[in-house]
Amino acid sequence: MRDSIRIILSMIELEVRRVMHDQTEIVLRAVQPLLWLVVFGKVLSSLHSIPTGNIPYTDYIMPGVLVQSTTTIAIFFGLIIIWERESGILKKLVASPAPKFAIVIGRSMAAGTRALFQAVFIIPFAMLIGVTVLLNPVYLLAAAIVVFIASSGFAALSILIASILKSRERFMGLGQVIILPMFFGSNALYPIESMPPLLQSLAHINPMTYIVDACRGLLITGNISGLGTDVLVILIFDAMIFALATWNFKRIIE
Amino acid sequence: MEFAVSVKNLSKRYGDFLALDNVDLEVEAGELFALLGPNGAGKTTLMRILTTQLEPSSGTAFVLGKNVVSQGAQVRGLVSYVPQEMSVWTDISAYENLLIYSKIYGMPASERNKAIGDALELMELTEVANHLVGTFSGGMIRKLELACAIMIRPGILFLDEPTIGLDPVTRRTVWEKLRALNRESGMNVFFSTHYMDEADVYSDKIGIINKGRLVTVASSSELKHSVGDDRVEIETDSLLGPQAVSDLRALDGISGVETEGNTLRVLAKDSGLSLNAIMGVLRADRINVRKVTASKPTIDDAFLKYAGTKDMEGTRGRLAELKSVRKRIVRG
Repeated sequence: MRDSIRIILSMIELEVRRVMHDQTEIVLRAVQPLLWLVVFGKVLSSLHSIPTGNIPYTDYIMPGVLVQSTTTIAIFFGLIIIWERESGILKKLVASPAPKFAIVIGRSMAAGTRALFQAVFIIPFAMLIGVTVLLNPVYLLAAAIVVFIASSGFAALSILIASILKSRERFMGLGQVIILPMFFGSNALYPIESMPPLLQSLAHINPMTYIVDACRGLLITGNISGLGTDVLVILIFDAMIFALATWNFKRIIE
Repeated sequence: MEFAVSVKNLSKRYGDFLALDNVDLEVEAGELFALLGPNGAGKTTLMRILTTQLEPSSGTAFVLGKNVVSQGAQVRGLVSYVPQEMSVWTDISAYENLLIYSKIYGMPASERNKAIGDALELMELTEVANHLVGTFSGGMIRKLELACAIMIRPGILFLDEPTIGLDPVTRRTVWEKLRALNRESGMNVFFSTHYMDEADVYSDKIGIINKGRLVTVASSSELKHSVGDDRVEIETDSLLGPQAVSDLRALDGISGVETEGNTLRVLAKDSGLSLNAIMGVLRADRINVRKVTASKPTIDDAFLKYAGTKDMEGTRGRLAELKSVRKRIVRG
């Protein structure tokens, strides 16, 4: 167990070192969420067409946009895994004493770390354009943990997909096909109550809904009554995906 | 003594394709072992089974006394493996690669700095330790991979085509370092190659593998001797008389004599030892010698004999492909 934690920490350290050497991806991937906030958010809030209570629309969608961009980073981490498969790195890791679940969770949490850098980039920018973020340090820390855990789960999903698809071309298309439906089918841009009934029930089994709800409570509304359920759902999602990705991991190098 | 590698009736099947066909192999501890064969012969498959990445379809394999299937975790604790492809992260520095690997392998923090420093020093990478690996040449990347593998002081080092695509100077440096490590610390080295000269010069034992079958295992000199005797070719000014020919045949250590015009061919067990006696016969017959060439059988001849082909088929195409993959990987 201690060995596994050490291996997971090494992989997180690897990712921090990587980001320190090159922030291009973090910066480029920040463009899209910033467009959501600056263009989409501003236009929709001037229309007042979506009932968001007493919260400005841009503030309302900020957590959703944040979660969308961090989970996108996590989903595209599968490309790094495919690169590591084409190079011999995965073969070398599989031949090392590291247990498979430690490799999978370690690589996933590395992606979670990368996603966290993205969040640290987006939140100050959102404040700069006028979003009111609750500056409660405990809430901020909790939100960071939620983003980290959730993104790690999505990264494990991408490792699972990478171990099935195995080529970057096939992978490229799939990344967006996973994130966008989850994004639009969640409470990220509009309250669930404003959706048609079928979409509403889908939204209730969509992990993105719970991640957004947790982040919205911690960063914007301060209403954390659903946080327990949110975290529980995210943890169950993570546990399931970690298990599946570990189970299928050896196939990636065959 | 325990064998470094011990394999019995090992087969690996991919669908209809038999990648390894009933391989039996024992490699003694402390040896530098070369697995020589053309591409697609089964070299990589065997190595990946020995490093627990793949499971055999049938048969058993032990590495340093541990079963690769039932004691996989213990085997992984003993081996270090350098795959044919590139196996370091290119977007961090050489030092950081070693640091992360040392942590993954659980090296105690107190030993880490010295081990990393030693590995960099050994592979002559100290000066570029803090450079991004993406800026390295193919040779430097290979040296870094070896540094990662050696740093953790494995019981046995598995190298899959370690010098493919390297320039001759780097190839030689790499082999001299590996041989020194093997001789000094007794680290077992098991490598695959399709460069015959590499197997010839740097290994203690050579296993020739072709189409999934391990055809023979022997030292390089045994292999060459098994092909046949040395050949001595002598050009003379005049024709040799029948008496001289029979005198030559009567000499010790001579297994064959034939003449063709002014050219005389002699097969000798050891051309160096027999040369003087041969010249003596010619002098007695007052025959002037214009030119003498002696040749020993090469590892190529041995390979031809055992593998039935000299064709390292596809080697060049494979090399070009590997180089382009490496380039793409470095660019990221």
